[in-house]
Amino acid sequence: MLRLDQIHKNYGAVRAVRGISLEVPRGQIVGILGPNGAGKTTTVRMIAGTLPPSRGTVAVDGFDTLAQTRQARQRIGYLPEGTPLYPEMRVASYLRYRTKLFGLPRGVQRTATERAIERCWLTEMRTRRIGTLSKGYKQRVGLASALLHSPPLLILDEPTSGLDPAQIAQTRKLMRELAGDHTMLVISHILPEVERACDRIVIISAGTIRADGSPADLIRHAAGSGTVLAVCKANPDTLAQIPGLNIKKTNKMDDGWTAFECEGESVPAETLRERIGAACAAQGTAIRELRTVGGSLEEVYIGLIEQSNRDDAEGAP
Amino acid sequence: MSTSIVPIAIREWAAMLRTPSGWIVIALYLLLSGIAVAVSIQPGLPASLRQFFGASHLILLVVAPAIAMRLMSEEFRAGTIEPLMAAPISDWSIILGKYLGGVLFLLTLLAPTLVYVALLEWLSAPDYGPILAGYLGLTLLGMLYIAVGLLISSLTRSTVVALLGTLFALMLIELAAGQGSAHVADPYDRILMALSVRTRLADFAKGVIDTAHIAFFLLTSAWFICLATVATETRRWR
Repeated sequence: MLRLDQIHKNYGAVRAVRGISLEVPRGQIVGILGPNGAGKTTTVRMIAGTLPPSRGTVAVDGFDTLAQTRQARQRIGYLPEGTPLYPEMRVASYLRYRTKLFGLPRGVQRTATERAIERCWLTEMRTRRIGTLSKGYKQRVGLASALLHSPPLLILDEPTSGLDPAQIAQTRKLMRELAGDHTMLVISHILPEVERACDRIVIISAGTIRADGSPADLIRHAAGSGTVLAVCKANPDTLAQIPGLNIKKTNKMDDGWTAFECEGESVPAETLRERIGAACAAQGTAIRELRTVGGSLEEVYIGLIEQSNRDDAEGAP
Repeated sequence: MSTSIVPIAIREWAAMLRTPSGWIVIALYLLLSGIAVAVSIQPGLPASLRQFFGASHLILLVVAPAIAMRLMSEEFRAGTIEPLMAAPISDWSIILGKYLGGVLFLLTLLAPTLVYVALLEWLSAPDYGPILAGYLGLTLLGMLYIAVGLLISSLTRSTVVALLGTLFALMLIELAAGQGSAHVADPYDRILMALSVRTRLADFAKGVIDTAHIAFFLLTSAWFICLATVATETRRWR
C-alpha cells in the first residue's frame, strides 16, 4: 500500500530525514513515534505529497507521489497536525467543498458528505460554523474531510492532540472503527494511544528509523535483555544457583524481605521470572513482587531515543 | 481547465464576504467613490463618470491590496494550505482559483456603483460608451492590482506584510511611471511610461478601448499570476 524508499529531506544544511525506508501492507495500522523534531511530520508531509523529498521515492498504492501526483493524492486521506480548517465555513459546506477538490462526481458529492458526517458523528453540527465548534468537533470535521473520498490510506498527524479525555476516547473509538477499511498511519507522541491502536510501531529519531515492529515485539525485545526484580524471602544462594541468572544488586529490607535485581545471561527475562518463581516455590519461600524492569513501550521508547541522542552526539549516522 | 478552480474561487469570494474586513473594504470604496461622484455631478457639467474612474484608480491602490492580502498569506498563516496542497490539484489551479476569487470580489465591489449610472440616467442623458469603457478599464486595472497583491501574498504568511508590500509595490510602479520617466533618458523614459496605468485608464475613461491597453493589463496580470504560482511551487521545496 505504501512504500518509502530511502527518502531524505534537507532544509539547507539541516538533514531532517535521513534515508527512511518503510513498507506498509494494506489494512495495517502503523503508529509513528518520535520526539519533537525527529522528522515525523516531515516524513508524513512527504507521504501526503505536500513536501517533495530531497532524495528517494514515495509510492502510494504503486503511484509515485512526485511523478503521479494526482493518482497518489487521490488515494490519501490526510489529517494534518492542528486540524487546519476554514472557521467561517459551515461543516457541511466545508465537506462539500472538499469533495469538489477531490473531483468527486456531482451525484456522489452529497452522499459522500452525508456518509462522512454520519460516520464522524457530526449530524447535529452540520450547519454550525467551524469556528464555533469545540476542538474535539473540529478534529472530527478534519477526520470527516480525510474520509470523504474513501481513501485506502489514512494519515492522521497527532489526531488526539489537545483533546480532553472524553474527546480522546471518542477519537480513538472512531479510529478503531476505521481500522478495518483503511491502511492507517498514526503520528503521535502519546505512547499508550499508539500501543493500543496500532498493529505496528515505527520509532523515528534524528530523521532515521530506530525501531520497527509490533508493540508486543518491541516490548518483548526490550524485556528480553531487561532486568528482573524479585522481592522475596529466599536465600541469595538459592537464586544464585538458578542457571543463567546473575544477581546484580541485593537490597535487604527491614521487614525480612529482600529485593533482588537479576539479569539473564542469554536467557530472556520471561524465562528468568519463571525460574525464580519455581525456585521459590520449591523452597516454600514467599514472593511479594516479581516483574521485569524495562518492559514497557515507554521504556523501550526512552531507551531508543537516548541511544539515538548519544549516536548523534558522537556523529554516528 | 481544472474543475477545482471554480470551487476555490467561490470559497475565496464567500470567505471575503463572511469577514468584517471584506465589508469594510466595500464600505470604504463606496464611500470614497461616492464622494467623487457627488462632487462631479454639477449643473452645467457633462453627465459622465470620468471623475469617478479617475478617483477609483487611486482608491484601488489601497483597496486592491486589501482584497489580495489574505489570498495566500492567510492560508499559510492558518495552515489551511496543508490540506489544500494535499488535494489532487495543481498549484496552478490553487493560484488561479484564488485569483478569480479576488476578481469576483472586485466585481462585487464595483456592482453597487452602477447606482451612479442610474443616477446619471435619471438626471440627464449620459453617453454610455465612455461609461462602459471606463468600467472595463477599472476592472482590468483591479485585475492587475490583485495579481500583484496575489504574488506578494504568496511570499509571506503575514497579511499585514502582504498589504503593505502590495501597497508599496503599486506605489512604486505608479511613481516610476509618473515621476521616474521624467528623470531618465531615452529609451528608459519610454519603457517607464509604458508601465503607466494612469494614461491607459484615462483613455478608457474617454471611451477609447485600445486592444493594446487590454493586452497590457491581461498580460501583466498573467505574468504576476505565473510568478505567484512559481512562488507557491518553490515554497513546497523549502
